[in-house]
This record gives sequence, C-alpha cells and structure tokens, in this order.
Amino acid sequence: MISLSNKIFLVAPEALTALASRLGHFRTKNVAVKQLTLALLGAILFALPTAQAVQAKDMEIVVWAPADQNERYRFEAVALAANVLNEELKIENRDINVIVSSRSFTGAQTWQQLKQGFSLAVEAGQGPHIIVGGHEDIPVWGSAGLILPIEDSVDLEAWPFSDVFTSLWPIMSWNGQIWGVPQDAESRPFFGWNPHLKAIGYSDADIAALPAKIKRGQYTLQNVLEDAKKIQDKGLVEKGYGFYPRATKGGDYWQFYAVQKGGDMIDAKSGKLILDKGALLGYYQFFHDAVFKYEVTKKNHLGMEWDQWYNEVANGKAGLWHGGTWHYARYTRREGLKDFFDKVTFSLIPSGGPGGKATTLTHPLTYLISRQTKGEELEIAGRLITIVSEPRLNTLHAIASAHLGISTAQTKVSQYSDDRWTAEATELLKSAFALPNSINFGKYDTLVWKGLTAAWSGDLSPEQAVDTVVKEMKATMGDQVIIR
Amino acid sequence: MLPASVTVTLFFVIPVMMTFVFSFTTMSSDTGILGNRYIVTKATILDLTEHGIDAALVRQLGHKVFRFNDAGLAKIREIGLDSSLVKEIEEKLSGDEFASEKALFAALKQLINRPRSFKHRKAISKSVVNTITNQEFRTAAAFRAGLVANGIKVDDATFGQLLDLTNTSWRWTTDNYVELLASDFTFKILANTAFYVFFTLLFNVGFALVLALATFYMPSGQSKFFRAVWLIPRISPSVIYVMLWKWFTFDSGFMSYFLGSLGVEPENWLNEFPWTFVIIVNGFVGASMGMIIFASAVLAIPADVLRAAEVDGAYPMQQVRRIILPLMAWPILFITSYQTLSLLTSFEYILLLTDGGPGFFTTETWALNAYHTALSNYFGNLRYGFGATLAVVLVFFGVALSLLYLRLFDFKKLVAEPLIEN
Amino acid sequence: MDDRKTNWPLTLFLLIVSAPILIMYVWLFIDSVSEINIESIWPEKFTLRNWRFLTEEIPGHGSVWTATLNTTIFATSVVAIVVVLSSTAGYALSRLKFPFRAPFLGIVLLLHSFPSVTLIISIFLMLRMIGLYDTLVGVILVKAALELPFGIWIMKGFYDTVPWEIEMAGLQDGASRFQVWYKLVLPQIMPGVAALAIFSFMAGWSEFVLPLILAPSSDTRLLSVYLAGLIIDDYLSDFGLFKAVGLFYVVPVMIFYLFTQDKLMNIYGGGTKG
Repeated sequence: MISLSNKIFLVAPEALTALASRLGHFRTKNVAVKQLTLALLGAILFALPTAQAVQAKDMEIVVWAPADQNERYRFEAVALAANVLNEELKIENRDINVIVSSRSFTGAQTWQQLKQGFSLAVEAGQGPHIIVGGHEDIPVWGSAGLILPIEDSVDLEAWPFSDVFTSLWPIMSWNGQIWGVPQDAESRPFFGWNPHLKAIGYSDADIAALPAKIKRGQYTLQNVLEDAKKIQDKGLVEKGYGFYPRATKGGDYWQFYAVQKGGDMIDAKSGKLILDKGALLGYYQFFHDAVFKYEVTKKNHLGMEWDQWYNEVANGKAGLWHGGTWHYARYTRREGLKDFFDKVTFSLIPSGGPGGKATTLTHPLTYLISRQTKGEELEIAGRLITIVSEPRLNTLHAIASAHLGISTAQTKVSQYSDDRWTAEATELLKSAFALPNSINFGKYDTLVWKGLTAAWSGDLSPEQAVDTVVKEMKATMGDQVIIR
Repeated sequence: MLPASVTVTLFFVIPVMMTFVFSFTTMSSDTGILGNRYIVTKATILDLTEHGIDAALVRQLGHKVFRFNDAGLAKIREIGLDSSLVKEIEEKLSGDEFASEKALFAALKQLINRPRSFKHRKAISKSVVNTITNQEFRTAAAFRAGLVANGIKVDDATFGQLLDLTNTSWRWTTDNYVELLASDFTFKILANTAFYVFFTLLFNVGFALVLALATFYMPSGQSKFFRAVWLIPRISPSVIYVMLWKWFTFDSGFMSYFLGSLGVEPENWLNEFPWTFVIIVNGFVGASMGMIIFASAVLAIPADVLRAAEVDGAYPMQQVRRIILPLMAWPILFITSYQTLSLLTSFEYILLLTDGGPGFFTTETWALNAYHTALSNYFGNLRYGFGATLAVVLVFFGVALSLLYLRLFDFKKLVAEPLIEN
Repeated sequence: MDDRKTNWPLTLFLLIVSAPILIMYVWLFIDSVSEINIESIWPEKFTLRNWRFLTEEIPGHGSVWTATLNTTIFATSVVAIVVVLSSTAGYALSRLKFPFRAPFLGIVLLLHSFPSVTLIISIFLMLRMIGLYDTLVGVILVKAALELPFGIWIMKGFYDTVPWEIEMAGLQDGASRFQVWYKLVLPQIMPGVAALAIFSFMAGWSEFVLPLILAPSSDTRLLSVYLAGLIIDDYLSDFGLFKAVGLFYVVPVMIFYLFTQDKLMNIYGGGTKG
C-alpha cells in the first residue's frame, strides 16, 4: 500500500485515468475516488452485517525531500517506517492505514525548487506533511510560520532521540525551540593525495600522523600553502592545482573563517550574527595568498565544472583539497578510485594559525513537520519521524549516500561500523561546527562571499575586501550584525 | 482577442503591476506572502526590550506557567485519560503551578497512575499552560483576545507597538531602492549588462545579416543547409545546448584537443574567456531569429529590382549596399530593438554556462542578479521584495531604450490604423 | 534562386563560422552511439548501449516514455493556446479598430522587457485567486501567457503583410468576417503560424521550473527533469547515456522543424507569395 513518486503508467486504462488526474486537481480527484470506494465498501459491509473486519481508514502522509538517486532513502525510509507503524497501529487496534506518498527533488536546481515550492504550497494551504530541509531553513520557515516545532510532536527525551549526538540539537534549534530532528549529518574534510605528499618528503608514518597533527593545531593553513607549493614545484601537479578548493560557492568556505582566531558567527545570547574583522581578513588573506603569493590555486577557479573537478581530484591531479564526506561515494563509484585509503588522507580543516582551531563544517538535513499537519496526522507524522530515526533505518541513507549517521547506537550497527569510510569520518563530526540559524544569514553570507571573490580575483586586496564588506554590511543590515 | 487579453492580463499584466507594488515591501521567504501573523517569541522579547517597551509588560509577555486551576482541570477531563489518572491529578496537583514543562513532566512522573505516553503528557501540558509566547494570532483582534485571556493589560498605544513588533509579515519600505543605490555592486552589474547586451547584439544582428545575405546568394540546397544549422541552437533545449558548449570548451574537450594538435596547452577555455563564450553562446541562439526575418525580407524584394541592378552591371556587394540594405532598414531596427529587450531580460544561458562567474561577478548581469536574489539565494531566504525592485529597475531601462528606439523608427507606423474599418 | 552558382569563398566562410555548431551536434550523435574514452575526443567503438534507456528503466529515474508523454502533453497544450490566441488577437489588432488598441500594443511590447522569473510570486497569487494553483492547467496557461506577447506581435506583423483586398473581395461576396479570416487570410499566414508553433513548442518542451513550483503535488515528470536527474546521479558515470538522452530530447524538435522548414523560411515575404 505504499505509493512512491515514480509511478509509471503506460498501460492504457491506467494512462487514461492518470492523464485525467494530471489535468485536474490531483489530490481532490484522489479523495473523490477514495470516497467513492469507501462508500461502496460501506454499502457492502452494510449488506453483509455478519462481516467482522474493520476497514482501516487510509491516511496519506506526503513527504518531500531533496534527493538524488543515492539519497533516495531520505523519503524511501519514511515509507519503510510506515510499514512498521502500520503494524504497530494494528496491534494498538487503531483503524488507520498510513500511506506515504513522496516527491523527490533532484537536479541542478534541487534546493531552489524545493524551497520555493514548499513556501508557496504551504502558503496556499497545501504542501507536504513532512519535508526534508536544510537546518538553515528552520529560521526562515519558522519565522514565516510554515513549520511546527517538532518538540511538541515527538518525545525528544525518549529513544531514539535520546541517543542522537548532542552536538546536533543546537543545529536543530532556533528562537528557543527545537524544530526538527536530524535526517543525516556530514562533515567537510580536508584531503591530501598521499603519493604527492610522499614525493615531497612525507614518510608513511608522517602521513598517518597528519590528521592528529592538524587536530592539535600543529599543521596550519600556512603549511597547506607551503606544501601545495612544494607539490607544484616538483611538477607533480600543474600550476594552480596545488591547493584545489571547492569548485563553486558553498557553505564550505565558511570553514576558512571558522578556523581563524575569533571566527565566531553568532552570538548565542542575542541570536545576532557576528562578523569578526580579524577572522575575515585571515580568511580572505589565505585565498589571496594561495592565488597570488604561492600561485597554488587558479585565479579563475571558482565557477568551474563539478564533473571536471571530481575527475581531477580523484585522479591525483590536485595536491591538497577540501570536499565533503559524501564525495567518497563519487570518488569511489563514478570516478572509479579503487584504493581510496591508500591514496587519500583526510582530516579536519587545519587551523588558521595562533588562536585558531581546526574544525569542519557539518550541514545536517532535517525532518520538519509543516503547518498543514493537524490532529491525528500530526501524531502519525511524529511517529513516522521517530521510527525513521532508528539507527538501522537511518543507516540505509548513511551508507547509500556516504553521509554520516546521527546517533551513537548507529555507529554500532554493523552495516555502519563495517564501512570504513563512515566509521572513520564520524570521528570528524565531534569537532564540527554548523552555520548559524538566522533569518539574516542569507544576506550576510552573500556579502561575505562577494568579498571573498573580490580578494580571490585580485579586484580588491584582502584589506579592501574586508572594508567593503563591513561598509556594505553596516549599510544594508544595520544592527542585525555585530561587527567587531 | 478577448481570450488573449484576459490571459495576458491575468498572468502577465497584473503580475507585473503587483511586482511594482512588491518592490516597495520587505517581502521574503521569512516574512511569508499572505497576511499578518502576530507571535511573541524569544527573539521578540529581546526586541521589545530594545524598543523600550515597559519591562513589566515584557516580563508578562514572556511569562509561561503551567497551572492546575479549574479551567485546566476541566480540559484535562476531556483528553480521554484513564479515570484513575484524572482522579489522582485532581487530588494531588490541583492548585499547583509549574514554571517549565520539564518540571511539570517530572511531577507527572511521580504519580502512581502516571501517563506513560508522550502524547498524553503533552496533552496535559497543553491543558494547563498559560502563556502568550509562541502562540500564533492571525488578526489583531485575536491577539488582543489572547492578551486578555492571559490577564495582560495594555493601552492602545502600546498595543499598536506590540502589533508592529510581533508581526512576522512583510512591511512597506523604500529601503530596497536605497540599498540598490548604496551598493558598490550595482554599478559593476550594470556595466556588465551594458557590455553583454551591446556585444551580443552586435554579434546577433551582424551574423543574422551576413547569414541572410550570404544564403540569398547561394544555391538553394546550400542555403537551406546553413539556415537549418543556425537554427539548431535556437531549437535545442538550453540544457543540451549549453552542455555541448561546455564539452566544446573544457580542458579535455574539442577546442583543447584541436588547439593541442597545434601545440597549445589544454585549458578550460570557458573559464579563461568567459565573456567571449557568453556572447558567442547567446549570439548563436539569437542570430537565427534575425536570420529568418532578414532572409524573408530579402526574398520579399521584388526580383525585377534586383535584376535591373544586375543588368546595370552591379556586383552583389553593390547590390547589397545600394538596394538591399536600404530596403531592410525596418526589419533591422525591429530586430535590434526586440533583441535588446530580450537580452536585457534573458539570463538562462548565462545561468547554465557560468552562473555569473567565474570569480567576482564576472558575468553577472542584471536579470541574472534578479534571479539570484528573488529565486535562488543559496541559503534559501529569498528576497522577493528586493528581486522585484531589481525587475522594476530593469523595466525602467527597457522603457528608456524602447523610447530611444521609437525615436529611431516610428512606433506610430507599427501601431498604424487597421486596414479594414467597420 | 536555383540559378545561383556556388560561391566557394562564401561557402567556406560560412562553414568556418558554423563549425562549432556542426562539430558539437555531430559529436552529440557520434558519442551517443559509441563507447567514450574521456581522455580523447575520438570514439572507441560502436555501441547501442547508451540508448538502453528507451527499452529499460534506468534505476530510480522512471520511464523515459512517461516523461516524454508528459512533456508532449505540456508542450502541445502550450502551442495550441499560444497559436489560437495570438492568431485571433493578431488579426484583431491588425484589422479592427477598437478602443485602447495602440496602448495595448505598447503594453504588450513592454511586457517583453520584464524578466519573467521575478513574476513567480505574483503569478502564484493570481493562480491561487482563481483556484488554478497546483493544477497543470494553471501552469500551461501561465506558460502560454508568458509566450503570448511575442506571439501577438509576430502574428500582427504577418497579418499586416496580407493585402486587405483579399478580405474586401471576400466580404463583398457575402462571406462573414470569420469565414474570411478562416478561409482566406489564415492560409496566407501559415508560415507565421509555423514559426510561432515551433518557437512556443520549444518553450514548452524545455520548460523546467514552472511545473515544479506552481503544481508541486501533481506528479509531472518532464524530460528536462529526467535529464537533470540523470546528470547528477552518482551511480552513473555514463556520458554516453547523457548524450543519448540529450539527443533523444532534441530530435523531436528537429523533426518538427524539418517538416515546417519551407514555410518557416517564407516568413517575411509571406502574404501573397504563399
């Protein structure tokens, strides 16, 4: 009884109904059909007073999720959870039959469509019951009243939530309430290509010790630039490939701010954003130096093709780079990197220097409940989310997509612990930070990003870029940001 | 006529007018689009203090208490709990107050018949909670009633202030325009747009003319072939067309391969010369439309005129200059002005090709920027109001350019009186 | 024109400037039927494996035929609306005198200078008001409305080239205005209809965003979404497959074009030449 989004209708009679429903109002139509069926059923039951069975009433729970093929468990696991829930409901003698229908968003503009589509649908009084969003959507949708705080619908003190990594809960919170539960976690490691590191004098032991050294802050971004330069000077990689950052704009770049001294982004007490001029300068200076002083990064690197980027880093064409835990899936599957652990070292992003600390960004997605969900539906949606957060169910997504798990118990599920990548990468999560949940984050992020691109391209010096950003931020955001 | 006007009015003219209105609002994802929404939250409490609202009132607004009074107990009886539990609550908790849900739950846990399910604990909590915080009100009257129900008294002036500060909906503002004027990036994007429109137009119209004339002087098989080839970009879905250009220009693509055989290092040529390719890619698409119109215009020139010229001994080039071009002034102007407006508002190919990059707003045009602001902010708080402002400014430029073109070629002629009178 | 001789320098020049398009599309075809080696641009060997999506489902991506059917329905509906509405409106604007005619033409032209993406919110509100939000009919109407200004102007241009003597003759013979339009004028502007049809078909055929945002709960998978989904799938490293799907996506429009080519090229002269 589980219907998924990718329905196929090529058989003639089915095609006709599908066509008709496509041109009309999909849901209304379904409801009408259901009512008709129920009426018929009722008539039959009435005619056969001896019939014992109670017909469970269908309850449709709609789930929307951003998901590529290997992330399909974001919604498929909810359907699996419904199987369990339906059995539970049977045992409890509740006459509800839960049907999960889901819609996945995929492609280059996944997020844009999901966010826009969800906002408009809920404003129109429609839309899904459960949505998988980014944690940064919490303040935006919370403020617009599109989602309900999850703490009112599920018992966060109880299993399996009691076992969820405690560091994830602040990321699910905004404005004094917990709005969602983590759907997955990830981190964005720093990577090095071992053969190149060996060629510039690292022994196997040195390489093995590197992640710990980075964590202690003994290997900094300065060392990154120097090693990248050595790799390049030896002719191991082409010019501009010594340090090969993410190909396009992304939250990842905030890591180079966060590893600096004073690189805080939000004031916990007031909920206001913070911009630290010193940290910002360190961040801009690093990329400016990489491009102009050391020449280990290309001036026009940003905006390059992801396909090319993945192919290059997975084939040793870059020396040092940074990416995401889910890149592992891409490197080893699509790019065919066979001996990942031999070839690649990964760690936290090295500290920016004295006073800074090595860290990595985590960007958990989250199950959220929309305001459309009322009464009994709210209870059922909450129970679905609870079941889907069970270690074994969540692990399906973690392994299939090379994301990280959300709870301690999950690290003990064999499918998870047997997977070397997820098992080792989960360690990074302990030192991770997340982007702040604030409705002003988008504006703030856009400005800081513009400053980076200016310093990167050499249009402005790092100092000028900081000044421009600060001036622009004061002008357009006023006292919403604490500049220090 | 009527259905066309209705459709255009409903889905184009009215939306355009609404966009003008929206450009004077703070509308964004976090404000929502519809209606007011009054809510007191943790953040509003801080905000109220900053705006000098009386501290006692702020405390009242932030106050939350779980109170087992008659009203609360009445609600508890309606939940459908075990009668033993209801009885125990009435006996043991009647008259009690708890400051937090945590304390309440702890107290419930002490009961012999304690509620085991979260659902029931939550229902009890909901029955006895007294607070205005995190309660959503859709109208001012409901908000007022909510305050009264919680025993909070405010005078009209303060209530007005509260309405303003607790409303999460959008407000009227002219800040969008101020922000646009104050921003350092405005000029850069404007300059980009002018550069893009001018050169793409030059490419477009130039090639359209060359193609139209060249194919005119060719055997029909050849001319059909070339026209078909130049129409392909226009009729290919943009995703495919741009994907092919990327294949053509990337490091291991055709260009690098071809130039490699001449000894040139492979490069990502698109990244190396972004503007060149942005202009070429858009130019190839745009040229076909001009080509069709121009080619038909040349065909429409009476054959006698051309033959007469040939008899006079005019070479094709002279024919072109003396006879064809002057006769084509009107289509050229039409295409130029039409394409100018198209290019001003187009961004799809740039979005797919460079997305405004590489680097510092290198190929970001005004329309693309509007798209980025209004539809595709990376972190999802879409600024509808500001996006609308960008659109309005773009229309302003569009109108200005149109007026300029109208001086050049007579709009009156375009809308000339109809041929048949009724 | 068949008396024209081949002018070799001219032909050569056109060949060179057309080279990028020719090369790109020739390789699109070649790569779709060969095993690709990413290091080289030359194909390794012939295969039909890239076209397997026609007969089997690529895991997780649904059937290409469902997407094709959906896209066809969407695109042809848009074409039907745009062609019918613009050819009637264009006729009225060209032939009839009615109040606000000139302002209407001016407004229609100006609409062209409005970036349509920024209209999404307002369009959403309109759809909601008339109850067409979250229906495919609504999305089709919106898509058609965005194409209409272009269509109306183009069609008006065509009607303007048709000599009104034709209609006068018809009217004097006692035919009604509608009959005159349908039997005498419309055949004269078929090239225009063809051009408009192909352009609006293209617009509908490559639409991506509108159905997803304005009809989120209808399960309409379009070809554009199908292709985008394939490109981003980490389980697939199959550039040949992408190119084959890409070609599959382009071909219908090309066929459409081949059938209408002769008419299309007659656009401007149109009218009396037929």
